[in-house]
Amino acid sequence: MAGTIQVERISKYYNRNRPDEVRALSEVDLTIAAGEALAVNGASGCGKTTLLGLVGCMSRPTSGSVLLDGRDVSRLPERFLGDIRRRTFGFIFQQLNLIKSISVLENTLLPLYPGKLSMKEMKIRAERILARFDLTARAGVKVSRLSGGEQQRVAIARALIHQPQVIIADEPTAHLDSVLAAELLDILDELNREGKTVLIATHDPFVSNHPLINRVIRMRDGRIVD
Amino acid sequence: MIRLLKILEFALSSLARRKFKNFSIIVVYSFTIAVLASVLLLTHSLKKMAMDVLVDGPDIVVQRLSGGRHDLIPADYSGIIEKIPGVGRVQPRVWGYYYDSLNHTNYTMLGIDEERQRFVMVDGKAPADDDQCMIGQGVAGAQHAETGMDLLLIDGNGIGYSCEISGVFKAASDLWTNDLVLFTKDALRRFFAMPDGLATDITVEVFNAREVPQVAQKIKRLLPDTRPITIDEILHTYESIFNWRSGLMLTIFTSSLIAFSILAWDKATGISGEEKQEIGILKAIGWDTGDVLTLKLCEGMVISATSFLVGVSMAYAHVFLLDAPLFVPVLKGWSVLFPRFHLVPYIDAYQIIVLGFLTILPYMASTVLPSWKAAITDPENAMRGV
Ligand SMILES: Nc1ncnc2c1ncn2[C@@H]1O[C@H](COP(=O)(O)OP(=O)(O)O)[C@@H](O)[C@H]1O
Ligand SMILES: [Mg+2]
Repeated sequence: MAGTIQVERISKYYNRNRPDEVRALSEVDLTIAAGEALAVNGASGCGKTTLLGLVGCMSRPTSGSVLLDGRDVSRLPERFLGDIRRRTFGFIFQQLNLIKSISVLENTLLPLYPGKLSMKEMKIRAERILARFDLTARAGVKVSRLSGGEQQRVAIARALIHQPQVIIADEPTAHLDSVLAAELLDILDELNREGKTVLIATHDPFVSNHPLINRVIRMRDGRIVD
Repeated sequence: MIRLLKILEFALSSLARRKFKNFSIIVVYSFTIAVLASVLLLTHSLKKMAMDVLVDGPDIVVQRLSGGRHDLIPADYSGIIEKIPGVGRVQPRVWGYYYDSLNHTNYTMLGIDEERQRFVMVDGKAPADDDQCMIGQGVAGAQHAETGMDLLLIDGNGIGYSCEISGVFKAASDLWTNDLVLFTKDALRRFFAMPDGLATDITVEVFNAREVPQVAQKIKRLLPDTRPITIDEILHTYESIFNWRSGLMLTIFTSSLIAFSILAWDKATGISGEEKQEIGILKAIGWDTGDVLTLKLCEGMVISATSFLVGVSMAYAHVFLLDAPLFVPVLKGWSVLFPRFHLVPYIDAYQIIVLGFLTILPYMASTVLPSWKAAITDPENAMRGV
């Protein structure tokens, strides 16, 4: 099954060769099997978001490589990376990153515009996914009018609409109360059982201890400590 | 293709979402284009009209020079010119300018005898005797004059003179004939206190256009006190006058407009933080730089093409339907030469295309460049919510 991720000795520097240079990751090795659910733990600033960004082809490592199903993607030019991001990953961002001034349906459709599906096929998919997350009745409502929990579900619907193999979530429970957090993890659990790889960055023990998670890795100062 | 259509659809809905901002941009931008297009349409139409008139005119105009200045010419010079081989009709003309202090307008007064058949009458008939005259439609309209009324004039001896309007004529081009008042030659000679046997100038038609320079040289040789002016020289003079004037107008307008537009664009179209964030979101969920650029190009094209069409239509209405009221002060210098006239619609496709490039390209650059800068940054920033 597709969805294996290998991270080989990656380092990431920000502001390279400048006085404010930051080494966010140093020589990290990590292998994530297809269908695995992995939690990345660690204090704020230890490099979790940086790692997720590199795995998800959001940025490129300063050194080292990222392999998707054996293929090195860390040196590909940007125009291929957009395509890979879209085909492989579904992101759930800490800040949700929804466009607040457009409707639930329009937000959900966003990842499909650059692809090959017709507008009609896109809408059919969106309807199906909105129904799954109980958002059918809210489809035409502007995102800014939704509750936090509903917005979270829109973000998940959008992350899943293009049927990605890997779901990456960055501190997904940070802004949620315990009820909504539990609901979110149940959804991720369900997706994992459907075979999707799940990668979550968190410092919330509730997430790390959830039955969904197969493996927890801990980071400190840009390194994996165990 | 389907990707392009979908992104275009998304672009349209994004534009609709920022209705107020985009509408304001279209308004400001349309006005800018309207002013520029008006200058272009106006100068071109004037030039075209002048050229049309001149092309219909005589091949050579012979003036007499005396003391380096234009002077009256003996009418019997025409007999000498007629004998030059290749020369067709030769005609002494009697004409001059007249400033009507009552109405504050200039008239061009022309004496006609057998040439009267060339004028198409809209009303009445050509002047039959010496106290009659006929006027062009333009003069009739401006002075509210009609057939049967009297035109009050002060003649060259300072004596008041009233002359009956025997008819109103129509002419191919308003530019030339809108200020024209026609008399019999005798009447006009008397009016200008011109001695018998003299004319203002002599017009010469040449059968073969290529012989015009030689004929002009021969006239100069036979009649050393004359100056034969060929049609080419006249065209040349007009071209340079028009080019100079339109160049000046264009420079004034474009420099002020560019200054203004840069300010306006900077304020209105430099992309907002909100737009920048949206670009980041789109990239983070799988759009690549090309997709974002396509989106922004679609948005820019819709805005600039709309503004361009609206602006050019406004300019057309302003210049050809309303006779360029906004440019009256700039055109003042012309009004002595050409009093009120109706502009003939004339559009030069090349000019419109150039205008299109000059207005659409800077707009596209000013909107697409900042978007492009936002689109090439790593989506990781969007992921962090910056
Ligand atoms: N764009 C950036 N420019 C400079 N430094 C950055 C940037 N992004 C992150 N960092 C730094 O990199 C380190 C790791 O950050 P991050 O991966 O966000 O950690 P976490 O997600 O675990 O809180 C931190 O010290 C952070 O300040
Ligand atoms: Mg983080």
